[in-house]
Amino acid sequence: MELHSDETIWYFFKKGESHGFSLLFKKYYPQLHVYGLKLSNSPEITEDCLQNFFIQLFESREKLGHINSLKAYLFVSFKRRLIKQLQKNQNNIPISEAQLIKTNFTFSSEEISINQEIQFLCTSTLASLINQLSPRQKEVIYLKYYSGMNSSDIAEVMDMNYQSVLNTLQKALSKLRKLSENQQIKSILKKN
Amino acid sequence: MNNNNKFDLDYFVSDASFKNWAKGLNKNDIAYWNNWIQNNPTHIETVENAKSVIIGINFNQQKPSNEMVNEALAKVLPKIKLEPTPKKILKKTQTVNSSLLTAAAAVLLILISWTSYSFLNNETTTIHKTNYGEIIDLQLPDGTSVVLNGNSEIWYEKDNPRLINLKGEAYFKVKSIPSTNAKFWVITEDLKVEVLGTQFHVNTRKQKTNVVLDEGSIHLELKNGEVTKMIPGEMVSFSNESKELTHKKVDIETPYALWRGGTYAFNGIPLKEVMFNLETTYGLEVEYKTEDLKNLPISGGIPNQNLQICIAAIEKATGTRIIKKGKILRIQENPIY
Repeated sequence: MELHSDETIWYFFKKGESHGFSLLFKKYYPQLHVYGLKLSNSPEITEDCLQNFFIQLFESREKLGHINSLKAYLFVSFKRRLIKQLQKNQNNIPISEAQLIKTNFTFSSEEISINQEIQFLCTSTLASLINQLSPRQKEVIYLKYYSGMNSSDIAEVMDMNYQSVLNTLQKALSKLRKLSENQQIKSILKKN
Repeated sequence: MNNNNKFDLDYFVSDASFKNWAKGLNKNDIAYWNNWIQNNPTHIETVENAKSVIIGINFNQQKPSNEMVNEALAKVLPKIKLEPTPKKILKKTQTVNSSLLTAAAAVLLILISWTSYSFLNNETTTIHKTNYGEIIDLQLPDGTSVVLNGNSEIWYEKDNPRLINLKGEAYFKVKSIPSTNAKFWVITEDLKVEVLGTQFHVNTRKQKTNVVLDEGSIHLELKNGEVTKMIPGEMVSFSNESKELTHKKVDIETPYALWRGGTYAFNGIPLKEVMFNLETTYGLEVEYKTEDLKNLPISGGIPNQNLQICIAAIEKATGTRIIKKGKILRIQENPIY
């Protein structure tokens, strides 16, 4: 069961009391931390950036207009901030988001649950198959199944329309299915 | 309208019954969609794609630990300018509350000792305790009636029968005393419920406390001083794990077991939730032959005062076989269904 609804959290957060701030922090710090780590590959930069992100969010709370989805809003603004920070660290050489995801965004076998529909694959094989997907496909898979985000929030975070989110998801999964079938055939051939 | 365009990915992905089929959850939905696919073979590819979108990939989330989050929070808090937290408690009750809190703490202390050393149970404390499967109706000295579910207990000081401690699950119908406006309190491990005349339900099992308000108005006060007001028809849960309160409107969809009157009423609740109620009221342990069985939905009333009848009703409702061996209930699929 969902604890406080986002509306309630946001309401208390905007009031500026410590209770509201803590609620928002405790709910979203863990999720954003994982996301930041995936993008930056650096715990130090992620933590530093994330803490500053919350501070700035708090300070600008009165200026913020209506927010449709709190989760999507936090993911988008944190991502932007983190990418800016990463650019700064590299002497302001512009970094493309796609490039970032391509190089940093990987899944390890520990992150893959054994209880899978594609059962004949071991977790490390499935992880490496997911890592072979395109940056957009990886991110959409991550937001959907790792962060448990709904498709309209994903559309907002990835700046694409709802239908393209669904299409990207579908393509990613059918590619995974094909890759895993190939893998299965290979492993059968090996045994013989 | 072109009928074929209607059956796109979005159509299937956002259909609740289709989701059940994809996850193999509901018998009716499975039968319906199997049949639908046979009659609509042209859509098989979209159906397959929609199924894999719904099932997706299971990840183990590698989130930072609670300690890490709290550490980060402690670092951030001093850097922001917080508004002072207004006290939400009325001044009049505040003084009463603090003295009562001490009283409550004292009672709690006595009773923690009581559970281990029964000889400490002196004349100043009244205790009512139920065994597994037993439900009792009580009348408190002030006229309040209590229905105490199985494996639960309440206790109170003789000179303060409107300050009740509860472990387990109970339903309260509080007698209001308009002349003195006397309040009524229920204290659980997690929180304090402050009441005028009203009817409500408190459940402290499963690592959390649920309070459902049927009538009137009540205040809940958490150990940390957080106060929340409830409106009728609302369920407030306090989770021991996250130490947070949630408000939820109770409607027919809410998995809120109405056990009083000797019946559990369920509305599409997964079998494991239902069995959890049995485990706690009868002191049993449940084993499932397959994981899928845990999520079979149950709707309707299940009598709970006789274990045998109860089990038979659950078997019927879910199409399972439940075998009782001592304190263990083993659930498996029924080959006849």
